[in-house]
Amino acid sequence: MKRNLFFKILFSYLVIVCLSFFILDLLIKDEIKKVMTDKIEAELFAYAELIDLNPAQKMSDQLQQIARISNSRVTLVDAQGRVLADSEKDIITMENHFNRPELQEARLKGKGKSIRFSQTIGVDMLYVAIPMKSGSQITGYVRFARPLHDVQSAIEKIYQSIFLAMMIVAIIALVIALIFSYRLTAPIRALEKFTERLRQGEPSGSIILKTSDETKNLADNINYLVDELQSQIRLANEEKSKLMTAFTSMTEGVLILNAEDKIEFVNQALGNMLAEQYGDINGKTLMEAFLNADLQKSFLKFKEKHITVVEEVTLGSFEPVILGVSISSVHNYPGEEKVMVVFHDVTRLKKLEKIRVDFVANVTHEIRTPLTAIIGYLETINAGAINNTDDAKRFIDISLKQARRLNRLVEDLLVISKVELGEIKLHFEGVSVRDVFVSAMPLVEAKAGLKKINIQNNLQKNLPHIWADRDRLTQILVNVLDNAVKFTPEDGSIFIDAGQKDNYIVLTITDTGIGIPKEEVQRLGERFYRVERSRSRDLGGTGLGLSIVKHLMIAHGGKMEIESQLGRGTKVSLFFPMRIINC
Amino acid sequence: MEERKHTSSHYEMELQEIKNGLIYIGVLTETAIQMAMKSLTERDSDLAHKVIKDDDEIDTLDTDLEERCIKILALRQPTAIDLRFITTAIKITGHLERIGDMAANIAEKAIQLNEEPKLKPYIDLPRMAELVGEMIKKSLDSFIGNDLNMAEEVRRMEQVTDDLNEQIFRELLTFMMEDSKTIHRSLMIMQVSKNLERIADHAKGIADMVTYMVTGESVRHQSCVSDEKEPA
Repeated sequence: MKRNLFFKILFSYLVIVCLSFFILDLLIKDEIKKVMTDKIEAELFAYAELIDLNPAQKMSDQLQQIARISNSRVTLVDAQGRVLADSEKDIITMENHFNRPELQEARLKGKGKSIRFSQTIGVDMLYVAIPMKSGSQITGYVRFARPLHDVQSAIEKIYQSIFLAMMIVAIIALVIALIFSYRLTAPIRALEKFTERLRQGEPSGSIILKTSDETKNLADNINYLVDELQSQIRLANEEKSKLMTAFTSMTEGVLILNAEDKIEFVNQALGNMLAEQYGDINGKTLMEAFLNADLQKSFLKFKEKHITVVEEVTLGSFEPVILGVSISSVHNYPGEEKVMVVFHDVTRLKKLEKIRVDFVANVTHEIRTPLTAIIGYLETINAGAINNTDDAKRFIDISLKQARRLNRLVEDLLVISKVELGEIKLHFEGVSVRDVFVSAMPLVEAKAGLKKINIQNNLQKNLPHIWADRDRLTQILVNVLDNAVKFTPEDGSIFIDAGQKDNYIVLTITDTGIGIPKEEVQRLGERFYRVERSRSRDLGGTGLGLSIVKHLMIAHGGKMEIESQLGRGTKVSLFFPMRIINC
Repeated sequence: MEERKHTSSHYEMELQEIKNGLIYIGVLTETAIQMAMKSLTERDSDLAHKVIKDDDEIDTLDTDLEERCIKILALRQPTAIDLRFITTAIKITGHLERIGDMAANIAEKAIQLNEEPKLKPYIDLPRMAELVGEMIKKSLDSFIGNDLNMAEEVRRMEQVTDDLNEQIFRELLTFMMEDSKTIHRSLMIMQVSKNLERIADHAKGIADMVTYMVTGESVRHQSCVSDEKEPA
């Protein structure tokens, strides 16, 4: 920048210098030449006229002398142009001079001159001639000639000094240009440096200039802009970090599409949600990323109507994830419309909804079955069977049995809802599992005995006590053992073991029963869920047994796990948290 | 191709729309196959009718997409990879449309089969359908990502479906030989299997076109790599 300005100033100075040189040349060169020639001419004429006073014969004798004194060449020519005498050349070799312009001019005007290039000496010659007269008759001419190299050399001398002056001026111009450019560019250079630092992202405060001209205003403006910019950037960064924190910490998945409908931002939640199945989806369109027709339909709907679209979309076919999708536009600069898509995982919600619907359907079904039986038998009795004592007795027995079952069902439901609501008060104490088993055994032994099932108790005596409610623990064990007995065919076995795993004391009840299909295992514990509906109901279950166990285990701070192999048997593991019990 | 940009962003958008449209049809056909197979295994004739009805949508989308491709050819006069992309798109949509038709065929067979007692539990057919579905998905993925490896994988999978088809054919043959009453049903199931196998062929066709699009070299009518891995 400095260089540039310097050269510009220097160049303009040099142009001025050269220009003045040329103008000077144009104006004075010819003027000097003319003045000097005129002077020589006047001198020669003066000589000529002086000589003209003498007679011709005398002149030719003194020719050499005259020539020496006048410092010129002198020629005498007669009226017909013949050369009579010459101070420098032999007259025999000289041709007729009648046609020379200076002689012609002298003949006509009384005075003649001419400037011609002399081949003999190689310089411009000034010729001056006047006629010699006797009376009015022209008898001859006197011609004086002098080379003009004096004029040339004089001009050259003048030019030399002019050129020297120019050189001096040019050097002064150079120095002035240097100083000028330096002083002029100093503030500009400071500004340049400052803005360069800004450009490279250094926070460099503000710039202070010592000048008071326009650059000062410029610096002030730049300072103002820098301040403004920095506060804007800070503000933008603050907003951005707020937004990013919101995006990353929220559990909903969020993605943003750029103006070309390509994904340019995916938040962490969505990334986690999709990582396994879809990989990196940045830079793809929705269609490419999700390969989902419903999602694309919703997106096209949004594109068409430009209003927020809320839809439900199922992603994936193996483990479907149901997502509530909301597509809306992000208002940005005009013409750069971005789209935000928010994904809300409603899979669990949908599952819970299904469980709830199933539950209501199951409850009504479970209650209606015994009720139908009771009503049926009572109607039969009412219609006349009352008279037949045997039948009546049998029908009433059945009704009673169904009514009891109904009662048991309602009681189970009550227990479950109480446990779930936390209304049941557990009286925690250190309990010996062995003792509880011993007290629970009689409740299932009778049934097991009927089916000749061998219950093998492998519990060690020194097993640590567990922190539990004795009655509820009994209920848990009875329910699990009851199930085991129910689903184990005759001559089967049931094993009861205990051990420690991680921070849990684990009780396992293993049977050699019919087992449960793999895909159904995870649904056990749902209320009224039965693997094979008809058969288990025949066996007298309410469908709530395991559900109660599951909830009671949760209330105990533990959990229930079930492993099963179809046809081989089932293993129920009850995890009780370890606690140091001083007793 | 992704990184390159055309000066006309509108042109860029048109190409992207073609791509999206293709994937959309692909996803629909894949769903159609799944539903058709479900209607067969779960004996759900209503679902089968839905598949047949939905095939009309695929057909419409196919002609629509083809028209858009031709319009681009006429108006934009694409060159090099864009030209290959458009011609590939036209070919792929043809394949997808045929796949949709075959899903409808399977649904038709399902309706007929559902009217008769179940011949046998389906084991190989669902496996084959799953494989075929994956092939379509992979061929589309290779199209999206210009992924040659994925395309190669599709070609390899096609061989497996051929083997499965052969296996199903032999199994059904034993059924027919044992009991002539099962011939009708066996033939129908055989057609389902054949349809699945043809779908796999089309998926391979798509993968071939993707390879052509990316490299500019035709790999069609060449023997598959896995041919060389035949047991000695």
